[in-house]
Amino acid sequence: MRAYVIRRLLIMIPTFVGISLVLFLVLNLAPGRPGAAQQGTDLAADIRGERTQESYRIFREQFHLDKPVLFNTRFALDAGEVGDAVRTAAGVVPASAADRIRAQEQLENFGYYAVPHLVEVVREADAAGAQRVRDVAAYFLRLNARRPLVDPFDPDPSPALKARNRAIDLENARVRELRYSLEDPEERKREVVAAWTAWYEERRADWEYDRFDVLRILTLETRFAAYWRNLLRLDFGVSLVSREPVVTTLLHKVRYSLSLSVTSLLLAYLISIPLGIYSAVFKDTRSDRSLTVSLFMLYSLPSFFAATLLLYFFSSGSDYESLRVFPTGGWRSRDAMAMTSLQQIRDVAWHLALPVLCLTYGSLAALSRYMRTGLLDVIRSDYVRTARAKGLSEWRVIGKHAVRNGLLPILTLLGGLLPAILGGSVIIEYIFGIPGMGLWVVESIYQRDYNAIMAIQLFSTLLVLFGLLLTDLSYALVDPRIRYE
Amino acid sequence: MTEAAGYGAVVWSQFRRNRPAVFGLWCIGALALLAVYAPLLSLDQPLLWRGAEGLEFPLFRALFNRLLFENAVDVFFNLLLVLSPIYAVVYRAAWPRVGRLRVLGALALFHFAAFAALAPERIGPFANPLHGSARIVDFEAPGAEAADAPFAIFPLRPYSYRETDPARSVRPPSSEHWFGTDKEGRDVFARMLYGTRISLTIGVVAVAIYVTIGVVLGALAGYFGGWVDSAISRLIEVMICFPTFFLILTLAALVQERSIFHVMVIIGVTGWTGVARLIRAEFLKHKNLEYAQAARALGLRRRRIIFRHILPNAIAPVLVTATFGIASAILIESSLSFLGVGDITVPSWGAILNSGRLEGKLWLIVAPGAAIFFMVSAFNLVGEALRDALDPKLRV
Repeated sequence: MRAYVIRRLLIMIPTFVGISLVLFLVLNLAPGRPGAAQQGTDLAADIRGERTQESYRIFREQFHLDKPVLFNTRFALDAGEVGDAVRTAAGVVPASAADRIRAQEQLENFGYYAVPHLVEVVREADAAGAQRVRDVAAYFLRLNARRPLVDPFDPDPSPALKARNRAIDLENARVRELRYSLEDPEERKREVVAAWTAWYEERRADWEYDRFDVLRILTLETRFAAYWRNLLRLDFGVSLVSREPVVTTLLHKVRYSLSLSVTSLLLAYLISIPLGIYSAVFKDTRSDRSLTVSLFMLYSLPSFFAATLLLYFFSSGSDYESLRVFPTGGWRSRDAMAMTSLQQIRDVAWHLALPVLCLTYGSLAALSRYMRTGLLDVIRSDYVRTARAKGLSEWRVIGKHAVRNGLLPILTLLGGLLPAILGGSVIIEYIFGIPGMGLWVVESIYQRDYNAIMAIQLFSTLLVLFGLLLTDLSYALVDPRIRYE
Repeated sequence: MTEAAGYGAVVWSQFRRNRPAVFGLWCIGALALLAVYAPLLSLDQPLLWRGAEGLEFPLFRALFNRLLFENAVDVFFNLLLVLSPIYAVVYRAAWPRVGRLRVLGALALFHFAAFAALAPERIGPFANPLHGSARIVDFEAPGAEAADAPFAIFPLRPYSYRETDPARSVRPPSSEHWFGTDKEGRDVFARMLYGTRISLTIGVVAVAIYVTIGVVLGALAGYFGGWVDSAISRLIEVMICFPTFFLILTLAALVQERSIFHVMVIIGVTGWTGVARLIRAEFLKHKNLEYAQAARALGLRRRRIIFRHILPNAIAPVLVTATFGIASAILIESSLSFLGVGDITVPSWGAILNSGRLEGKLWLIVAPGAAIFFMVSAFNLVGEALRDALDPKLRV
């Protein structure tokens, strides 16, 4: 048994990595860009000024959005590509405004890898007298020659790290000085170009990659690798919108979602077990049939329809004054902090009544049906006949002997139901405005908050994985005939 | 039951005993008819019009007018509406001689071919004649009855589902607008009617996609075994662990030009695992039975054995999954539209329901909600009965 569990846990790792890869690709290859929402529309982003452009560049760098998604081939950049981008960005070849912005962004994204080619472009343009191209290339050269600090947010840096960062800082300061403004005289500009050439010759070795460098850049200098490096440190990143660590928000939100789904799960079992027993005992009677039919109807009733109707009639916004029993949504009243704890519990229960109802009724049909078949299987078995033959009352036969074994099949459903209910609560949380994971995922998707979406999806993947494991284990726990070797 | 009764006949006779399921089947049929003949029930173009230029039939011209019916789903159904009398005649003429399934299959193939040929705006170098005029002629609806009003026969309700009118925004149901109007002043009855097309198409197409994927992968895994089986089984295990609804929601929201076909494909590519597992299990069971061995001994090609010999025997359980799958695909689509990530150009029931929630108007809530409920229960009833009918334990 233990070996089986360990093997299952080990298999989970590649599954999890695979799923994270697919989710990551889906998010990152989708059109549209993150951060665009908070910067206004894409059009607004196109005509934004230099300062916001700089802040957006830092934003991209911070979230690794400047890196390629899965494979980095920038070690093999060629001068033609960089030159084309520079010419487009400089506007010396005909291009739309959007194309120019895109070329600029592309040049920024190339980062350090583009430096040799930019130097070349600067030199060539200088020799050919193409001043505009030279000036633009020099601008991007100055941007791209800067190197990012290593672990800038480490709260307790080691001396070696400090020294390294100081060296990078000095180097960056030197690069920053290699600049000229457009009004400067031509001699000054030429001076700077010469200084760039000298600087480049000095550090030429930086861009000579051997086989291992190529392999490292290809696979590790990417968005996915950066994400996984953080993930291994259990760091899910920072929300692109609120700038708070995603895990903090997740742990906060999960409490709402879990209490909602666990309550509804418990309630579903508490209701469907007696219903299942009832319809098994009174098998094929009229009441059994009508119970099955009505539960089946509930099963087909879309929860968002029921929720909307219930809110329409029973919430405090209802047109019918006598029916205004429940709040319109939310987790608790605004003045909840002033209440005693008993009142607070009552307040939360009052807020959760409708959502829990909507989340619960759908699973009743399946659960009670399983209970019914489980019990019917048991009732036919020999030991129940023996119990009857001993002269036990029907109540004792069913209640004490049969039900215990009849319960087993529906207990095994538990593991699979939890993630399902968590997924199903998206729409319920959305309607009732409960600040849980479901509502959060919808908001994050609207805002393209990649880190938040990834964290939520990976978390629910984990839930599914463990739910499946639990289901399989509970088969063995419940039925001794099943053994995992 | 006679001994000679085939498998299908046995299942059918079992199915027929289940009254609610037969009722469900009738309901699905009725909904399909509503979907096909929706333009005859609600459109702002008259069936018959006698004006200055003599007798006209504007409705039939309007059926392929891209300003009225932009969506390919509508083109498909409108084509079916026009061709349905011909299909009925062909069916009547051919059926007793040729098998029922063959006739229906041939007709369906023909219809798809016709749709594929006629849907694009240009056929080769020629403009598509069916696309009709590029403008909507404004015919006067009955009601404004003047003495010299031209003679006209309108459909049951004279509204198209896209016709907006700010003057009649959010009106309660009346004799004019049976189900009221929505915020943009569109007739909800018309939107509900055309929404039937959307829901049915979503359900059927999404399930067709995932049944195809599932059958092919499951058959390969079950028949070949070995590394093929373990590779496909691993893939299935990974797919099962996906947080499906979150994934669908993300995909649907991130697609840039949202269309109803994206939603179908997304549901299709995420939902095939159940079918694949079923088919795999069936193939494991069937591949060494005598008839499969006989087929192999005859030296038939593998493709033929898999798809012509084993598959027809293994497909029955998939019918149940597919029927339930249609119901759940309809639910997923309406949830997506409800959350506002569906296709906003089509009259989806979920979107109407959401607008009702936002407006707080009962008629915008009850009609679409009840329609979704009705359609989903019909498919669930049929699926339930099919499962019982196919279950050999219950057979007498």
